[in-house]
This record gives sequence, C-alpha cells and structure tokens, in this order.
Amino acid sequence: MATLATRSVKKRLLEREELLRETGHYEASLDAKAEDPVRFEILFTKAMQATLNAREVARLVSASPVTRELGETVFGLYTPEGDAVCLSNGLMLHVRTISRMIKWMIRNDYEDRVGFRPGDFFFNNDPYIGGSHGPDQMIVCPIFHGDELIGWTGGLTHVVETGSVEPGGMGVASTSRFSEGLFLPCVRIAENDEVLHDLEVLVDRNVRESTSWLLDNRAKIAGSRMVRDRIVELADEFGRDYYLKAVHEYVEDSLVATRETVKRYLFPGVYREVAWRGFSVDDRALLLHAPLELTVTKDGGLILDWDGLSSAGQHPFQATLPCFEAILFNALIQYVFFDTRYNEGTFNVVELRVPEGSACNPPDIFHATAQWGPAYGGGVAASQALSRAYYAMGYREEVRASNAAVSGMTYGGLDQYGRPAGGWNMEFSASGSWAQGLHDGLDTSLAEFNAEGDMGDAEVWERTIPIVYLGRTIHRDGGGFGRHRGGSGIYSVYLVKNSSKLDVGSFGVAPIHSAPGLMGGYPSPVQYVCRLDGSNLRELIERQAPLPHGEGDDPAQPEVTRLVEGKLTTFLGGSAVPRPLAEYDLWIQTSGDGGGFGDPLERSPTLVARDLENGVTTVRAAKDVYGVIVAEEDHVPDLEATEERRRELRRARLARGIPAAEYKRRTRERLLERALPQHTREMFADVLGASAAFRARFTEFWDLPSDFEV
Amino acid sequence: MTHIHSDDVLRELVAGTIGSAQLREVQRRKDGGRFARVRALEQERVPWPDRIIVPLQEHLYVVEADPVPVVKCRCGVELGDYRCNWKEQALVYERDAQDGEVFVGPRGAPSEWVVLREFYCPGCAAQLDVEVVPIGYPFVHNFVPDLGTLAELEAAE
Repeated sequence: MATLATRSVKKRLLEREELLRETGHYEASLDAKAEDPVRFEILFTKAMQATLNAREVARLVSASPVTRELGETVFGLYTPEGDAVCLSNGLMLHVRTISRMIKWMIRNDYEDRVGFRPGDFFFNNDPYIGGSHGPDQMIVCPIFHGDELIGWTGGLTHVVETGSVEPGGMGVASTSRFSEGLFLPCVRIAENDEVLHDLEVLVDRNVRESTSWLLDNRAKIAGSRMVRDRIVELADEFGRDYYLKAVHEYVEDSLVATRETVKRYLFPGVYREVAWRGFSVDDRALLLHAPLELTVTKDGGLILDWDGLSSAGQHPFQATLPCFEAILFNALIQYVFFDTRYNEGTFNVVELRVPEGSACNPPDIFHATAQWGPAYGGGVAASQALSRAYYAMGYREEVRASNAAVSGMTYGGLDQYGRPAGGWNMEFSASGSWAQGLHDGLDTSLAEFNAEGDMGDAEVWERTIPIVYLGRTIHRDGGGFGRHRGGSGIYSVYLVKNSSKLDVGSFGVAPIHSAPGLMGGYPSPVQYVCRLDGSNLRELIERQAPLPHGEGDDPAQPEVTRLVEGKLTTFLGGSAVPRPLAEYDLWIQTSGDGGGFGDPLERSPTLVARDLENGVTTVRAAKDVYGVIVAEEDHVPDLEATEERRRELRRARLARGIPAAEYKRRTRERLLERALPQHTREMFADVLGASAAFRARFTEFWDLPSDFEV
Repeated sequence: MTHIHSDDVLRELVAGTIGSAQLREVQRRKDGGRFARVRALEQERVPWPDRIIVPLQEHLYVVEADPVPVVKCRCGVELGDYRCNWKEQALVYERDAQDGEVFVGPRGAPSEWVVLREFYCPGCAAQLDVEVVPIGYPFVHNFVPDLGTLAELEAAE
C-alpha cells in the first residue's frame, strides 16, 4: 500500500470524496480526539490562532481602507485535499471559495502540469473557480513538511479596482464577463517566497490604480507565510502523522456536531420563503426571483432547494455557484453553527439544489457576475426560514428578520493628487442589521457578508477619494417597522472636491423592498441614491448658508431638495452607471437597512419615544405606523391616546382587508386579463418556462390552465 | 432534570419581556429540551384550552383538533388544517407601497415591481405577515411542521 507521501494529492482528494459518499463520514474515526481530547483541542486552537494572527498582520500590510479599516479579509487553513479546517474571523464566506480554488487546481492536474513547490503562491480572482467577482482576490500557498504536502493556507481581500469598464470592478451595466476587468485564474505569482515581477507589471498596466491590488497581494502573502510557517512548527511539535490525522478529524468532528446542532435547534419540516433581486439601470430593468424550499430533516440534514430561480442573463446581477455556496455557508455558520467548529464539515450536512442555467448557476463562465444578485437574496430567504425553525423549537433568542441589501458609491477618474483612480466607498459594511424577535436591529452596524464590518473613518475615505463628506447620518426610519424595528443604515452626502475628472455611480438592487420583515414586520424601505448636477454649493458655502448634511426631518422632502439648487436625479434601487460629476456637485448614498419583526402596533410606546428622542424615527411614523401618540414638545407617549389610535388602526385593517378567497378571485381576473406590469410579466414568463414545479404551484393556486402564459 | 434557565426566565423569553442582560445569557448558554418547556409556557398564555402541538409563529399555533390539527390564533380564531396555508383563511390587503401610509417619498416601491401583501387575523386584526411580492405571486406557504418527530422532541425533555 502506498504511503501518504507517495500518493498524489489528486488521488487523496478523490479518495476522500469517495469515503464521504460511501459512508457519510469524512474521516473514518475520531481516534485522535478520543485518545487525548485536550491535546486535540490544543492543536486546533494553535492552528486557528495562526489564522487570526495572519488576518491582523495582513490588515497592517495593506494600503487599502477596505482591508485595513473595514477588515474585509479572511485567512484559512486547509487539508491537503483543500477542505477548510479552521479560519480567522472577517470575511468568512470566502473560506469556502478559497477551498474551491485549491480543489480546482488539484482537479486540473496543477500538481503535474504546473507543480506545487515549497515557496509557491497562487493567485485567483476568477469567480467561476472561487470568489464572487473580480474584486474577490485570493492567494494560497502549499504547506510542505519535509517533502510532503500537508495542507494549504490562504487569504482573501476585497480589492477596490480591477480594470473593469466601469471603475471598481463592481459595474452595474456589464453584459458579459469581458467588461468586468482583469481575471487571473489560478496563476503562480510567487516562487521561493519572492513575488514575480512580471505579474506585477501585468496588473500595473491593466488597472486604473494598482496600489490596492499589489499591496493587498503582499498582505495576503505575508499572512499566508505566517500561517504556513506556524503549521510547519506545529507539525514538528505534534508529529506529522498526528497533524494529518487531526486536521481530517476536525472536519469530521464538525460534520457530526453540525448534524446534532440541527436536530437540537431547528424544528423538522418544510419551510418556504421568497427573496427578490434585480436591477433598473438606464433603460434596462429586470426582476429576479429567488425562492427557497428548505427541508429540515429528522436526522439533522438541511436541504436547500432553489427550484424556480430566475434564469441567468446578459447582466451582472447574478452569481457564480461558488459565490452562492459561499453566501449560504456564511449565513449558516453565523446563524446556526456559530458554536461549532465551523469548517468544511459544517457544509456537509447541507444538500444544495441549484438549477443549472439559473442566475445562481450560470450556464457558462462568460456571464457577468459582479453584483451577486439573487445569491444574496438567497441568504435572506435562508435566514427567514431558519428563524421559523428556531421559533417553533423554542429558541426565540435566535429569531430574526432579514438582513440589508447593500449599496455603495463607485468612482473613477483622477483623484485629488491628480493620479488615475478607481474604486468604491465601502461604508455600507456598516449597514443596519435585522430586527430580532426580542430586540431591535442595530443601526449602522454590519453587513451579512462580514459580521465584523466597519464603516471606516470618513476622513480616511476623504483621503482616498476626491470627496468631502457634508454629512454621514443614521437613515431615519430606515429599519423595517415592526414590534422590533430593523437597524437603520447610513445616509451620506458627498461633495466632489479637488478632482478635474470624476465619474460617480453606485451599485445596488432593483427598486424593491429587498429586506423583508418577519411575522408581521414591514420590510426595509427602497434604497436609492441621488446625484445633484450643476449645484450652487460653492455659492452656499461662500455665503455660509445652511448646507444639506443628511436627509433632514422629513424623508418625503430631504434636505437636498430644499437647501440646494441643481438638477437632482434619483436612482431607485441604488444602481447607477458611473458618469461625470463636477466639483461642488453632490452624491447622496444610502447603505442598507434591516427588516422588521412582528406587528408594529405591538411595539412598546417607550421604544418609539426613545427612537424619536434619538432622531431615528419620525412623529409621522410613530402615529401612522406604530399608532403611538406623543407630546409634541418632549415626545412623551400619551398611553390613552395611543390605545385609542391603535384601536382605530386595527379597525381600519378589518375594514380594508378582504377574505383571501375574494382576493384570489380578483387577482385571477387580473391574470386572465394579462394585466401584469412589464417587470412582473417578464419574471413570470421566465420562471414559468424554467420550472415545472413552480408552474404547477402557480396555476394550481390561481386555478388557471396548466399551460397558462402571462 | 436541572435546567440552565428557569421557567421564569423562559416565561419572559416567550412573552418578549426578557431584559437584555438575561437575554444575552440565554443566547450564550443554550439548554436542550427547549421545545417542550416553551410549548408548556405558551399554553399558559393562551385563553383557550386546546392543546398546542407546535407554536407556528407570532400569534399562531398548531393545536389539536378533530380530524386533523388546525392553526389557531391567540385570539381564538381558527385558520384551517395545519397542512394548508393559514393565509387562505386570513384577511388580505394588497398595499401599493407608494400610498404614503407606511413609506414616504422615494422609499416605497413602485407597484410595477412589487406590492406589500398584508395578512390580518380576521378576529383580532393582528398583522400576521407582510409579503413583498410582485402582483400575481401565489401566497407563500411558509411552514409545514413535520409532526412525525413530536414524540422524539417531547422525550428530549
């Protein structure tokens, strides 16, 4: 029998997959754990500490505010076959995509055709191999102990400029991958721990500004070297054979623990949710459907079936399969498996069914994918469904509404130092979080993709981008209304300054409520961004007149419509192609807000009064949505008047609500009259054609012929 | 059996009145056998005698009935066979999100994209769900519990 050292890594990968397929186990036994559980845990803790150290050091090496300030980076340790063993905090979703990259190289015979050697580092930003879009850039290195490959380590950062047609690599108008910038699929970028100069030249001449990319490369190489060298020390300390047995047992241990976690916390049954994404960009618009049927099985399995997903198309609001997997992995480890040893074993209890050709599994590698699209909505649907499973099982402390969709400003041109520039402002990493079943969401706190997110100091963004913040405020009434409200995101006002040439745009979603509420809560509002061309800001500043610093007291009439002159353009949904914006012109950016939980008429009047005092809700919403009447001068609630107002609002519900059967009869008429709006009709036409199951559900529900066409 | 968290703590958890320090403790240290304990506490809170099989969501429970369990609101109104969608027995209001009542200014979605479909209990007028859907989308049937596992869950107590 061949020893481990003489077997190719590809053979080891295939054997491991076969073992899992045949037995349901990743490692045949947990002997190392059983023999000495303390030693077993010590090695794991030391290995994980290595990844945490790597992340912190990498942040200090990077020059990009996204990596340095916001912490958009992650490091992981992998088995020789490429399965995640442990990971740092940060951008955890990409632990899965880095695994995809390693396995892709192994499957494609890199061991023989390219070679894996000590001191090698490989780079990838091809999202069909691993990642979600060009800015997701990962570097991995093999870990050798003597002459044996004992594992891999690697890190990922979110790089702000990739040489795409629209600056920043997060374009909203791409019709194919070929306008999304420079992709380097699994390329060796360093040998003997030395960066290859010709690769740096290639990057330098293909992007608007290469500093972020190239210094982030050094950050990832520095972090990976730290992990690699530490793991070699640990293999010396614990013994190579023990190390190799243990890393596989960590994955198996997670697999077992994960199954038990599902059985303990989630009520078995079938759950259905739907999320929506899409876009409205110039004269193109599309609504995208992301329906989930989640089955929690009795034996602790999770089946996530996405039959009915919209089809892939010629736009960037869609995702590669590795991206979709990673988003779901991220949602599960943060939401269900947070107290287990999350790694590859975590995902092995999940059966993922994603239709081929759909917007989360495009039919070829040429589809643009910069905007993730329904994949991120898929995370929303999953968290909603899992919340219901927690609720039924009695774990009310884990119930939550959905997370915010994010929207960020993109720019390109010349910066304030006259240098070519491109990138985005990523303050949306501090969006509003979801309402929980027992408390409000947190304002300006996080984004689902990085629970440790940070908005970054305004002064740092001002140093990087030729803008001045006129204001950065909490988005009033941003979080979805409910017994507990969603967290509110950011409302920022940027003034263009010190640039002779700057294109400004934004990425976002469709003009929809993208973060739904749960169990009676309202969704978050529609996101939007605005540009103000030809402003009189210079004149206002010179005469020290009031300037727009935020939205103001009345969201219906934001300050930008009252305090400043110019041509105002609003982009509902927050997606706008970058176009020239002159000095002293304005850009208004909202990040994202979380969904609300429960009936808003059950919200504590005290909490409403507190929100009024803190300026995060309005008297209008208090009265019309929450039914809370407050004293004008100090916002103290009038409990008697509140009770009466709430009775009035409940009576209004009973008056306007119609029996479901009558509602269905009326809507059926509209369907038969073919009276659907364009975006809705196009969405249904696609989905009814793509999914026989959805067609059956649709026609049965509305009592329509099985061959009905919208 | 000794529990990490007392019935009084779980009672506050179920009622939604639990304080933040206590809530953090419940989040941090999770006890097993929660299902049966929470169900018993829910039973204390409802004004009717029917036995709760599974709490379905805010206001709604699956309760024993003949010949099959039904969905019942805390107010006492029954919303049909638990295997069917309770929304079919609710009151429905399709809200144009730009009507200015909930969202103002540019914050409401145009109805060409999506509408807000609000479901109310016909008895107590509680808002039980708000769907964000395009016009013509079938009601979302959110949850069908697998009651075949009940014996195991009850034994976990």
